[in-house]
Amino acid sequence: MKLNDLEQSMLEGAHGRAAQWAIDYQRSVGTFFDARDFVPVRVIHMSTDRETMGDAGVAFLEELAALPLEERRPRAFATADFRGFDEETFRFLLPGRDLVAQSAEAVDALGKLGVVTSHAYVNDHSVTAPAFGEACGYSGTPSVVYMNGIVGARCNFEAGPSSLAAFFTGRVPRYGFHLDGARHATHAFRLDFTPATVVDWGVVGALIGRRLNSYWSVPAIEIVGDRPTVLELNHMALSMASYGSIAMFHVIGVTPEAPDWETACGGKTLTPETLSQSDLDKFYDEWGGAGEKLDVVALATPQLDMPEIVQIAELLDGSTVHPDTTLLVYTPIEIKEACARIGLNGVIERAGGRVVHGHDFFATFAKEIREAHGWERLMTHSVKAVNICEGYGYKPTPAAIPRCIESAIAGKVLP
Amino acid sequence: MNEFKGHVGIGPAVEGIALAAHDNFSTRYDLDRDRGIVSRPSHKLYGENYVGRILVLNAAKGGVASAWMLREMVRKEMAPLALLLNDANPVMAQGAAFAQLPLIDRFDTDITAAIRTGDHLHIDPAQGLVRVLR
Repeated sequence: MKLNDLEQSMLEGAHGRAAQWAIDYQRSVGTFFDARDFVPVRVIHMSTDRETMGDAGVAFLEELAALPLEERRPRAFATADFRGFDEETFRFLLPGRDLVAQSAEAVDALGKLGVVTSHAYVNDHSVTAPAFGEACGYSGTPSVVYMNGIVGARCNFEAGPSSLAAFFTGRVPRYGFHLDGARHATHAFRLDFTPATVVDWGVVGALIGRRLNSYWSVPAIEIVGDRPTVLELNHMALSMASYGSIAMFHVIGVTPEAPDWETACGGKTLTPETLSQSDLDKFYDEWGGAGEKLDVVALATPQLDMPEIVQIAELLDGSTVHPDTTLLVYTPIEIKEACARIGLNGVIERAGGRVVHGHDFFATFAKEIREAHGWERLMTHSVKAVNICEGYGYKPTPAAIPRCIESAIAGKVLP
Repeated sequence: MNEFKGHVGIGPAVEGIALAAHDNFSTRYDLDRDRGIVSRPSHKLYGENYVGRILVLNAAKGGVASAWMLREMVRKEMAPLALLLNDANPVMAQGAAFAQLPLIDRFDTDITAAIRTGDHLHIDPAQGLVRVLR
């Protein structure tokens, strides 16, 4: 990899030990992917949930934070979506585990380093965002596929330690989706139906992710019917990322780098594969669960926006969640506070649900939570959460929010 | 002795026993990292103990988690000895570099078909080379 004078001096230690570690680490990853050089970045998003960091990750952060300031100066603006701070709910979900205390060390270390621990999960809309065409160093897979596909910014998966390195160097290795050619479609799909809900869009993402199953694949999708909302695109995108490690996509006539097929494909001609309603139906059939006792409904991933919480409050108003079912509604703390001001949280809580802020269900010891409560059957409107929670031993059922809420009231999975 | 060439990899050279399947791989989605077994029921290696084995799988999949997790798994002695993949993604490469866990990908053949569970392997990431010693 070619290093400029600044990067070479970082490697030689002239800009402190943190930058020296970071540029050396980034160079090894860049070499692995044949990067020719680095590209500067202004904004960083750092994935730092306590479960994935482990004690080793926290210890590493603390070592960096203990360095004198001149040894650890940052070169970019970074936010961290650190989670695990809804103390009341977490005490209920995992009794006996003081996640707040465990997380405090990492939050302290991140704060000392100058990382903004905003506590929002996938804060694509709420924190300073990159512009079209701008290189960035985002960490969470949903954020990366969102930035590439929906915003048109340029980003690879810069996972936890990688985004931390970018924070200290202000740059990332230039490979993958920083390069024009890698952003063109490699595979084409055509929907011959209009997905009805965000869950359907998530299933479309899962089907495409399963078919492609490679980070380097870029699907382009032709749709019929109304233009999808950003939330619908987001569910499809994060599901593609979850099932297939996809980081870039196009929707013809919708996303910014796909005004038409020719532009999306970089002049190539691709033959689209058709996805139909029957493909969706088969996916839903894989998970089943109708009629079974329902242990937990987790509405998260991404955390909910205000219209979704309005919808849940309307569905619950005057009803009660079954005593054997736990209803969890996840949202960023800013949205939770706004919903409290207009009385929505009260409606949900009086019905027996919990409005949870600050951490996402799947990302915060979901396996241990299942074991602590003896839970099996889970419902969620997030097809990504279905994927992860299956690996944690749940029997997940994907369903739209109304069916999830009606099932929570009934205490069993309604058809 | 068979030898397979991949792209230049990450981490130190090691020698060990293969655990192979054509399935994809994620540390978060597929593993019980406390018990050291493959925990996803639909995975071909379901129930297998992967600790200290050279995992040979198709493609890295899923999210960001592996980058932090591999280092924690090494610390807890719950990590595979090395990873051989047909296609790694950035997260897996970043995780391997952070954990100093040997990783090679992009072979001149389908590595999951070329190597069988139980094969005795020597892998050299600096050269991108895998030798089957069996």
